[in-house]
Amino acid sequence: MTDDTTPMTDGGTDEQARTDGGPPATVPPDDETPTWSERKEHTQGLAQLTYQYFERSRREDEDLRTESTYVERDVLGFPTWPHETLRNLAITSFFVGMIILVSAILPPHFGDPANPGSTPAIILPDWYLYWSFGLLKLDPLNPDLAVLGGNIVMSNELLGIVAHGIIFGVITLVPFLNKGSARRPVEQPFWAAVGAAGVTLSFTLAALAIQNFFPFQLELIVSLTFLLPVVAGVLTYAVLKTMREGYMYDLNRRYYMLRPPK
Amino acid sequence: MSLKKQDEMDHNAWLKTQDLTAIETVFLTTLIWLDKRLRIVDYLELLETMYYRANLQMPKSHTEQYDLDNKFWYWYPLYSLGSLSIIAYLVAAVTGALLGFYYAPSTAGAAAQGDPTAAYDSLVAIMTDVQFGFMLRSIHRWSAQFMVAAVFLHMLRVYFTGSYKEPREVNWVLGIVLIGLTLLFGFSGYVLPWKQLSFWAAQIGVEMALATPLVGEWAAQLLFGGFTLGQATLVRMYILHVFVLPFVVTGLIALHVGIVWVQGIAEPH
Repeated sequence: MTDDTTPMTDGGTDEQARTDGGPPATVPPDDETPTWSERKEHTQGLAQLTYQYFERSRREDEDLRTESTYVERDVLGFPTWPHETLRNLAITSFFVGMIILVSAILPPHFGDPANPGSTPAIILPDWYLYWSFGLLKLDPLNPDLAVLGGNIVMSNELLGIVAHGIIFGVITLVPFLNKGSARRPVEQPFWAAVGAAGVTLSFTLAALAIQNFFPFQLELIVSLTFLLPVVAGVLTYAVLKTMREGYMYDLNRRYYMLRPPK
Repeated sequence: MSLKKQDEMDHNAWLKTQDLTAIETVFLTTLIWLDKRLRIVDYLELLETMYYRANLQMPKSHTEQYDLDNKFWYWYPLYSLGSLSIIAYLVAAVTGALLGFYYAPSTAGAAAQGDPTAAYDSLVAIMTDVQFGFMLRSIHRWSAQFMVAAVFLHMLRVYFTGSYKEPREVNWVLGIVLIGLTLLFGFSGYVLPWKQLSFWAAQIGVEMALATPLVGEWAAQLLFGGFTLGQATLVRMYILHVFVLPFVVTGLIALHVGIVWVQGIAEPH
């Protein structure tokens, strides 16, 4: 019986001669695998913070699950599989059938070949870019934005591009501005009104893009483009507020039927 | 250890002791035959998991639990708009691949200004010569229209049900990027036939790019291949439409749906 450290006849030991890296001393047995909190104690810096956060968020999740009932807890979401997926698969064939039917009934128009020499009287993109095309026709507004000595701040084209940026920026910011657990339009009349104004604005901008089809003065069309969304927003706000008052009225009435005021 | 074949598990003898119907015998014999060669038993656990997943009783959704179905069913179509836009995208991808067999992204062949180019002629050939070509182009165009419409309505649904709220902001921003790319898809496809409206729509695109400070000229050269429209524009729009955008959009859609899958569908309540 020889140990790894027993000197052999050549003076060396097995320990020195071994090429396989030695016994697996660093791998702990299964029941000694470190837990998250133990790993947290051994690490430092960002890794420690990460472990700490994981621990915290897991505990928070557990608390949420154990301490609150399903009804009181916010419903964060219901599963994509199977509810949503099956429902959507069920209507797939119908939807594809609709596409094919419409394609058969309404084949696309095909115009003249491109001619760089002659500008057509009406240039229009597909319908879904009308709003964008309308933004390029905001040049009647441009003189109003003048600052120094009647010079316009930016060219008409640049105004249209900046308008695109503003619209995309505002839409992107929405979830960072509107927080809270309200979901229905009735619960948040203001944001529903903003949405209604936005939808109306997209339609009025589309109308601005095809301004030649309207027998009004251009100034009137431009004014309406920005006035109608405001009107739509105010109307939506009023309607939703009224609906909410109605709900509150019903609730109050039920409450007072139960316990009439003295 | 001996090399003699050990056959402790004599499956065939075990089979004989069982009282089996013909179907069961055939099934088990096939299973044993396959298992001896492919070690199916190693995958049985996976199959078992899949079996139970597929046969799971559906958990009750919020609407079912509180018996809101009578009030909620008419919202269901709005909740499938995202899925519908993906379906329309797939239809457009299939028809687009078929159209790509016949389309030539070239402005050659025009003797004078206003003459049909090779691209225009290939579209005419698709619509008149190719079997079902007109229908193919029609389906491609209409599925694109359906996709854009579904994407816009999907955004409105998400907005008005407040589904973009914490913790779903990232997916909202991703959706806006996807809308922009969808519009770019439509725009680049609109240019490809190289008809009058295509040309002048691209002209407006170039002018918009050139009006942008700092990056405008660079963007015009990158997207349109120069400041005047020509062969380079058509090829760039073509590559954008059939190579760049499909990869980017498909990847982003996968990410978008993956996040929805992880986070669950936000229900109004």
